[in-house]
Amino acid sequence: MEAMLKIEKLNVNYGAIHAVRDVSLSINKGEIVTLIGANGAGKSSVIRAIMGLVKGKAEEMTYTSPRDGRAVSIQGRPAEDHVKLGISLSPEGRRILPQLTVEENLALGAYIRDDKQGIAEDMEYVYSLFPRLKERHRQKGSTLSGGEQQMLAVGRALMSRPDLLMLDEPSLGLAPILVDEVFGIIREINAQGRTILLVEQNAFAALKAAHRAYVLEVGAISLSGTGQELLNDPKVRAAYLGG
Amino acid sequence: MNLNIFVQHFINALSLGSLYGLVAVGYTMVYGILRLINFAHGDIFMLGAYFVYFATIVYKLNWFIGVVIAIILTTICGLLVDRIAYKPLREAPRISALISAIGVSFFIENFAVVVFTGMPRPVVQPPILMKPIELSGGVRLIPLGILVPVVSFVLVGALLWLLYCTKPGLAMRAISFDIEATRMMGVSVNRIIALAFGLGSALAAVAGIMWALRYPRVEPFMGMTPGIKAFIAAVCGGIGSVPGAMIGGLILGFVEIMSVAFFPTLSGYKDAFAFLLLIMILLFRPTGLLGEKLEDKI
Amino acid sequence: MKRTRNLLLTVAAVVLFAFFLDKAPELLNGYWQRILNLIAINAILALSLNLIYGITGMFSLGHAGFMAIGAYVSALLILTPAQKNAMWILEDIYPWLLNVNTPFIVSLVLAGLAAAFFGLLVALPVLRLGGDYLGIATLGFAEIIRILITNTARLTNGSLGLKGIPAHTTLFMSWGCLGVVLLCMVCMLRSNFGGVLRAVRDDEVAARMMGINTFKVKVIAFTLGCFGGGLGGALMGNLITTIDPRMFMITQTYNILMIIVVGGLGSVTGSLIGSVLVTTMLEWLRIVENPITIGSINIPGIPGMRMVIFSLLLIVVIIFRREGIMGMREFSWDIFFPKKSAKPKETHEDSDTVLEVKDVMLKFGGLTAIDTLTFDIKHGQIMGLIGPNGAGKTSAFNVISGFYKPTSGSIKFLGKSIGGLSPDEVCKAGMSRTFQNIRLFGHETVLQNVMTGARIRQGYHWWMSLLPFVFTDVLREDAAVRAQALDLLGQLGLADLAEETASSLPYGAQRRLEIARALATRPKFLLLDEPAAGMNPQESEELLKFIRRLRDEFDLTILLIEHDMKVVMNVCDYIHVLDQGVHIAQGTPDEIRANPRVIEAYLGKGAA
Repeated sequence: MEAMLKIEKLNVNYGAIHAVRDVSLSINKGEIVTLIGANGAGKSSVIRAIMGLVKGKAEEMTYTSPRDGRAVSIQGRPAEDHVKLGISLSPEGRRILPQLTVEENLALGAYIRDDKQGIAEDMEYVYSLFPRLKERHRQKGSTLSGGEQQMLAVGRALMSRPDLLMLDEPSLGLAPILVDEVFGIIREINAQGRTILLVEQNAFAALKAAHRAYVLEVGAISLSGTGQELLNDPKVRAAYLGG
Repeated sequence: MNLNIFVQHFINALSLGSLYGLVAVGYTMVYGILRLINFAHGDIFMLGAYFVYFATIVYKLNWFIGVVIAIILTTICGLLVDRIAYKPLREAPRISALISAIGVSFFIENFAVVVFTGMPRPVVQPPILMKPIELSGGVRLIPLGILVPVVSFVLVGALLWLLYCTKPGLAMRAISFDIEATRMMGVSVNRIIALAFGLGSALAAVAGIMWALRYPRVEPFMGMTPGIKAFIAAVCGGIGSVPGAMIGGLILGFVEIMSVAFFPTLSGYKDAFAFLLLIMILLFRPTGLLGEKLEDKI
Repeated sequence: MKRTRNLLLTVAAVVLFAFFLDKAPELLNGYWQRILNLIAINAILALSLNLIYGITGMFSLGHAGFMAIGAYVSALLILTPAQKNAMWILEDIYPWLLNVNTPFIVSLVLAGLAAAFFGLLVALPVLRLGGDYLGIATLGFAEIIRILITNTARLTNGSLGLKGIPAHTTLFMSWGCLGVVLLCMVCMLRSNFGGVLRAVRDDEVAARMMGINTFKVKVIAFTLGCFGGGLGGALMGNLITTIDPRMFMITQTYNILMIIVVGGLGSVTGSLIGSVLVTTMLEWLRIVENPITIGSINIPGIPGMRMVIFSLLLIVVIIFRREGIMGMREFSWDIFFPKKSAKPKETHEDSDTVLEVKDVMLKFGGLTAIDTLTFDIKHGQIMGLIGPNGAGKTSAFNVISGFYKPTSGSIKFLGKSIGGLSPDEVCKAGMSRTFQNIRLFGHETVLQNVMTGARIRQGYHWWMSLLPFVFTDVLREDAAVRAQALDLLGQLGLADLAEETASSLPYGAQRRLEIARALATRPKFLLLDEPAAGMNPQESEELLKFIRRLRDEFDLTILLIEHDMKVVMNVCDYIHVLDQGVHIAQGTPDEIRANPRVIEAYLGKGAA
């Protein structure tokens, strides 16, 4: 099967820091793929390089849109182009816009679209996934709790109707009960046909939800396999808690 | 002070204040997004006035057509300034863009001296705007005095509508909080920034035209002092906030006119009040009246 | 050796230049003499604004105002009573002012002092503002000063200005003043105090952590800069012989700003080069405004064209070479000579419990960053503080090191409460830290970074640093700091890099440098915030050994935050674990690794 996103030997440097070293990964249509690893392992850098927010150098970085089946290189393109191709990102730290209302944040997520009808439907869809957001749709982003902000970030990323949804640390700072809820919703979104790339520190939850996983250790991939395989692999624990 | 004189002062303060406000809006939009004091904004204001002068006096166009052409030309100038002098410096330290802004301001002023000469030029005052209207109680009003605040409020109202009820407006507000997050939503950031410059320049053009009508003349350095005062108004109102800019402008207008009206002996200090007010506000409310609190991160 | 050589070369250059100045009246016409004078005056103004902005990092747009004060004070002091009587037409001059008369030199000093006094008045309230706001507030003050001058006719003759000021500004006078200013400035920048100023500019937070009272330092630098502004203004008045309030508009400040930007912000050499270039260019460009005749063709002069060309050049410079001509570099005779490198141990005392944190709670609004944290650290321990992202570890560091005040609870360091102390005070008490996102003084060399750390133990006397040949202590102090710093760099294996710019170092070396800088304050207790972040496995292996060595050689107690578990588990004697602000576990590395709550916090529920 042709991969939807294929990355060969991605490297990212920040000045003197070599944050990502020769990372290769691929994502197939319909999958949940997770990238796990301890803090500072370079997970966010990988996802930000894919989105075009940091400059990365890769031998190949190809995205095949399921809309028309054409494969295009996404290297060196600005982030806004990615959105138009059907990739969207719910960034680490949520990055919701604090002075805009919940509804405005969602509308911004649908910025590239012009179909009023469709946008309204998708907004209802997001509200059905996260009923808490509907209750607060007129509130400013800054007044939401951490969990609600996370829901808003995920919902906002959905508003562009992406084919590939990338989620950076969606469980960060959430109470355990909310973590379960968020992962449940991720599976639900996936079941409705969206491909998901999930970056997570919470390895256990991510591995349970994912079809396939890559483990990142100090900027390089140290382990990969299906979610189930890695769940029972002691090396994963060592990657987090030291051997 | 009798009623008539008071009303005159009041109208005067209202129109001066709303002109400051109109220029301040342009500062506040650009600063809110780029954290750049666009020192050239006052000179864009001057260009607006000159374009009307040329259209009406030199090319003998109808005044209203002249105004429309002037606004369009000024907007183009504003966009060019951004494109040539600021856009290459988006990733540079902020001081670089600031110095560039000072350079642009110098350039426009002196280019105006070269092209228009330093001599002040008269401005056409459409008679319809100048014929006094008699109100009850012996109060006389010049229509221009009413027109200025009305036009200003309508324009700022329209801008608020654009900011709060349209998609580009949404993107513009979003950019001022988090450029990167907005880019992730598929917004072409540079296009929105250009829109902010364009709108700011158009408003400055309108303000410049009305300013020229009030004083009836234009000269190359006419934008300097109003420009700095309008920036002060924007800071007082809370930089980044459009309603704040308008409120700041009005406060400045009233302080300036009323202080002289009530204490004529202090008229020489008129300009000092604006700065004193600024320093007071900065010291007691560092982010201005409607500004948001910014915190440093360690 | 090198120092003597450079000193001799400098003296030779000065003598040569003095000789030139002496002959200048015969060699040059009045026009070029005037340009030479203007260059010197502009250089004084540029150096003083550069001190405020380029070197200390305070964005000030008020220089024209301080120039105005200087120009007026000097002029009022040297005009004769007869001249004053003739000039004050509209209103009478204050009688006490009429007969005041001082020699020119005295008037220059008083002009500088008056500007400095006003500078101090402005600085005390306004320097609390930062960035652009400071710029706008200083611009406001300069305008107010100008308006005051216009409106106090009995004092200043108002908008009519002052005419017939004696042309005391000779070449020797202006260049002599520049020489003195330059000497003071160079000495100051090379002293402890200069290092402190640059530290404040590069990273105010880190500077406070080095024990520097940054507000005080900024006020001093601003006031000194204003002195220079006043001096320059006075010289200018005595050169042009006429002054009025319109001379000191914001454009005057812009001119000076351009000089320092073209030359390079923060570079003394740059300011000098900038003054030569900008002054000559502005004068030379006058030709485009005068009619020219080439053969039979007459080109009429175009008014305004001069500034058009000039502003275009400025925009081109800032877009294509925004660091200016010199960047932050300085001229040194060493560039003519090939260079060599230099090379360079100590012990400490103790007490048992070094740090005692009791029931510390930290809230931001409704958000609880730390929920009742209690622990203590014994002398010589290496303690780890770990937890997943957002656990509140850095907040805990910030509370301990004085950046945040705890909402409740107490912190005792070496038996004394430090709960409400500011970072610089905490540092002086013997605690030092590094930062998660490395906060070096990036434009400084490795050696200068460490010297800034060492300065806190030596103190910094700004007034002595201006006159190093009178107060020779300063030189000795400086030498002592340098020796200590080199010694430390040697111990930490950074000696070879001493003259490199900090920001150009490889990442691992930057981390070590930040630790070296912290050690230079001679702490008893060291906080390391993610020292292994961004390091590759080999680098973190080295770091492990390095941290242990630090404890042993420098007799330290260490608290570290770290995500790299290999480092934490291998180096720490004892570990505390935070999760979402809650202290969830403590124990030895092995206990922590087996603790189900810790595993759950890290790997998620069910992982244990």
